[in-house]
Amino acid sequence: MSGFDTAMVPVLQAVLSGVLVGGVYGLLSIGLSLAFGVMRIVNFAHGDLVMYGMYVGVVASAALGIDPLLALPASFLIMAVLGLAQYQLVFRRFVGATTLNQLLAAIGLGLALQMVAQLVFGVDARSATSIFAGSYDLVGPFFFARAQIVAFAVALIATIAVELLLRRTQWGKSVRAVADNIEAAEIVGLRSQRINLGAFALSCGLAGIAGTIMVTYYPTDPTKGFALMPIAIIATTIGGLGSITGAFLGGIFCGIVQQATAMLWNSALQDVPLYVLLLVFIAFRPTGLFGGRSE
Amino acid sequence: MSRERRSLLAGIVLVAALALMPVAGVNDYFIAVAVRMLIFIALGQAWNVVAGIGGLLSLGHGVFLGLGCYATGILFNFYGLPPWLGVWVGALASLVIALVMGAMTLRMRGVFFALATIAVSLALDQLARHYVDLTGGDNGLALKFLGNSLWFMQSRRPGPFLYAALAFVVAYYWITRWILASRFGLEMRAVRDDEVAAAAAGVPVFRTKLLGLLVSAVMTSVAGSLYMQSYQAIDPETAFGLSQAIQLQLPALIGGLGTSWGPIVGGAVMILLSEGTNLGSTRLGIAGVDILVYGLLLLAVVMYAPKGIMGLFERRARGGS
Repeated sequence: MSGFDTAMVPVLQAVLSGVLVGGVYGLLSIGLSLAFGVMRIVNFAHGDLVMYGMYVGVVASAALGIDPLLALPASFLIMAVLGLAQYQLVFRRFVGATTLNQLLAAIGLGLALQMVAQLVFGVDARSATSIFAGSYDLVGPFFFARAQIVAFAVALIATIAVELLLRRTQWGKSVRAVADNIEAAEIVGLRSQRINLGAFALSCGLAGIAGTIMVTYYPTDPTKGFALMPIAIIATTIGGLGSITGAFLGGIFCGIVQQATAMLWNSALQDVPLYVLLLVFIAFRPTGLFGGRSE
Repeated sequence: MSRERRSLLAGIVLVAALALMPVAGVNDYFIAVAVRMLIFIALGQAWNVVAGIGGLLSLGHGVFLGLGCYATGILFNFYGLPPWLGVWVGALASLVIALVMGAMTLRMRGVFFALATIAVSLALDQLARHYVDLTGGDNGLALKFLGNSLWFMQSRRPGPFLYAALAFVVAYYWITRWILASRFGLEMRAVRDDEVAAAAAGVPVFRTKLLGLLVSAVMTSVAGSLYMQSYQAIDPETAFGLSQAIQLQLPALIGGLGTSWGPIVGGAVMILLSEGTNLGSTRLGIAGVDILVYGLLLLAVVMYAPKGIMGLFERRARGGS
């Protein structure tokens, strides 16, 4: 290779893989950030919906012989409906409640969802194959897993779609109004519970998409939901709680830090710098890199 | 009889009944269950200080439990230091971690503190898994057994730990009572109920929160050292995992947040339920049912009885009078 030092190749490879992995972390995070931005709910059960989304991919591929990529719309719909049920049964009464009760309720719900998955699907790891599984692209000295490129593209499209939905449509406007000031929104005639319900369903649907696209290269088991939550929380905080684009970019940031740590320091400790970064952000920049809600 | 007297009497009867178990020749299995129950009551009491009285949701108290366990275990196995001394090293480590964590997050909204506690426990989990030479990695750290000895706090049978755990429960109960009655406790509750109003009334909000966290962290760590001596082993999942974090929260939540009797009642209920479901699930051949029970308990308590069992009592007492 001419142009740059070959010693830089692993570093750049780490950054590029980090961007790809991080895009999907971003997809995990935008739904979380949406629910927080609108309802101030940190939905700890979000990861479990991602896990169910992964099983949608598994069922589609193993039982029905459908490529997980074609199951994305179904996954979105199923998780959105599950989200509606969750909101009506549990979260409805925690809008505006103390952090303590709301977080504990979400954790309890998450554990119950995890247990149900364990009873239905068993504890063994399962995976799904898509047409892109196992194929790699070489660009110069760098290689990319094609499944990850596809996943990144889906994440990017989802992020742009949600931003457009929130910014350009009447519904999006009312969601943002409720998020900004629930009383004022109700005074001008918006029905905040119904709008919250819609936003929450969208948030859960996004979790479903994230899961189904991830399972094409990352096997699932019932504990994956809680395993994925920390990185989504960190990405959301670094991006700014409540910001959609922020969550996506926060995810990419986390992906790069993680891959660079694994490549340059130690892959067994790849998440430790992220945990430290979370503390640093909370202490010095709680609004995140891209200015979320600080209050 | 006043309420105060009744609660004292109930306490004395309970302590006496438990203390007589080994003398009365009760099966070691039941004594071991009692020890487990008492240790979780003490740990629940410690969590209750920061979360129940202080209103700060710590999802990572396993950090302090783990530091207590690992500190006494590592110092004993590698340097022969008796747990009587190791416990203070663990407490100091917990104090430092709590200080850093608290200083960085307690000025912000409560949700940030909760998220930070998760991050710290996950970081320690990865570190404990990685530094195998010191911690035993994934397999965990087993105490070297040197024979029954008071100096090394070791015993094959659970009897001696029953007395140690009872002492912890009594001491932690009194600490909680003392905090609740003190000016410090009043300030903590004021901050919990309305931070802005508390600040306006001259309560040093940040300092009060930080102090509450430090007290709770040290209490958890010291009880963690007892946990280590009693179980003789610790591993990253047991110390820093999610189900442990929830086991540390449930006693106070089930029993009643912010009350001195809550963790006692709740801890007893939690351990009896978990022993019961474990027994039932082994018979049915399904593993890990207790995590489902914990999840449903958590959900049920938060949704339908946010004041726990003590809250139900209170309602009845008030309704009757």
